[in-house]
Amino acid sequence: MSALRLISNRTSQQALSNSDYTWDYEYYEYGPVSFEGLKVHKYSIVIGFWVGLAVFVIFMFFVLTLLTKTGAPHQDNAELSEKRFCMNSFVADFGRPLESERVFSHQMAEESQSLFHFCINEVDHLKKEKESQKGPGVESNTHFQEVPKSSGMFEEDLHCLTKFNIPNFVNTEQNSSLGEDDLLISEPPIIL
Amino acid sequence: ENISDFSVNITDCTQVVVPEEVFFTVAAAGILENLLILIAVVRNKNLHLPMYFFICSLAISDMLGSLYKTLENIFIILCKMGYLTRHGDFEKKLDDAMDSMFILSLLGSIFSLLAIAADRYITIFYALRYHNIMTLRRALVILAIIWVFCAGSSVAIALFSYEAATVIPFTILFPLMMFFILCLYIHMFLLARSHAKKIASLPSSTVHPRANMKGAITLTIFLGVFLCCWAPFVLHILLARFCPHNPYCACYMSIFHVNGTLIMCNAIINPMIFAFRSPELRSTFKKMFHCSR
Repeated sequence: MSALRLISNRTSQQALSNSDYTWDYEYYEYGPVSFEGLKVHKYSIVIGFWVGLAVFVIFMFFVLTLLTKTGAPHQDNAELSEKRFCMNSFVADFGRPLESERVFSHQMAEESQSLFHFCINEVDHLKKEKESQKGPGVESNTHFQEVPKSSGMFEEDLHCLTKFNIPNFVNTEQNSSLGEDDLLISEPPIIL
Repeated sequence: ENISDFSVNITDCTQVVVPEEVFFTVAAAGILENLLILIAVVRNKNLHLPMYFFICSLAISDMLGSLYKTLENIFIILCKMGYLTRHGDFEKKLDDAMDSMFILSLLGSIFSLLAIAADRYITIFYALRYHNIMTLRRALVILAIIWVFCAGSSVAIALFSYEAATVIPFTILFPLMMFFILCLYIHMFLLARSHAKKIASLPSSTVHPRANMKGAITLTIFLGVFLCCWAPFVLHILLARFCPHNPYCACYMSIFHVNGTLIMCNAIINPMIFAFRSPELRSTFKKMFHCSR
């Protein structure tokens, strides 16, 4: 660390240029440095270091963006169309006269039950997370935007939960699907 | 040895001097900002949580770094004015003490960042058991261990800074810790992404593609700032130890004051990245300022 002091004291040395200094505790001789015969620019280490650092930071940013984006914009359309396909198949199945009602309702029950369970699990998970996070507060979520986004997603999942109201799910499903996705019926089902 | 007669060519790479006013302003801003955070966390009972204690630890290490730079500058000014001699025993001890304070600040910063990353990691991956894993007492014990270790290593490094054996581990620790923190955050990212995909597949959800970018930007800013502020200094230490006579190295070492100012800038930026993002802390500040009026 004496090197630091040496370098920082050189600025003051320029002010008092005529004095001699004895460095009792210097461990190496900081002799004169000759600048003759330099092949590249003298600040090449400085420039190279900062350029390298900038490249590294930008590279890291792209890697992180890739990690977070993989599956987000393309999957956006894929999942949206998947969702529509599911909704469409619900509606289409409902509309098919040849299916016996028992079988149809059983199929619908299974599908919507699996989705319902998934939804319930998600909601439970989020509920528990929200409760456990009441201690550290919602701030831990605001620090890290990616993660469970409790407030927003929690409401969304509660909303999803209300759709899968099992006692009269057929009616509500039909109503909600018709109410919300009016355009879906007129659209042909999207085949993935 | 007299170093008063330099070679003529030493003027090729003169010291880049940062004006003292800039130096003191930046240092004072850093110290004040971090002090405010400490006061806010102490005063508000809602902020007595492990997460905020780790942020406080980061604030303390930033404060130490700025304090060191301020003291060193004052020391140099006193030397210039002749109040202190250069080869006294007292000055040497003072110099060693200040060096160890600086290394303490650097190590404290790194370990605090690590603690913050680990805390967030546990919040996400062990969300249901977070309160049992990270109790207040455990957080304080962890902080005590970190600071005792940092204090011990900083004194050891300052005393034995002349050995290569201390410089090399010191410079290896820095990228190693950064890499480890990056891995923790990337793992958190991957979980958040799979979670977002699951939520997006639910029929009633709305997908926010832009939210994914925010996480990447935040993390890049946080790691990028830390790297850009501390890496120049670490490289300086390496070069000073291994190639002090090389003209290229000497030219790099001539921007030492700029590197020091960067470290103090880190002390100003860190609270903005960590502490001020918390709404609770911001509201505490507002209350503090409104009360003082």
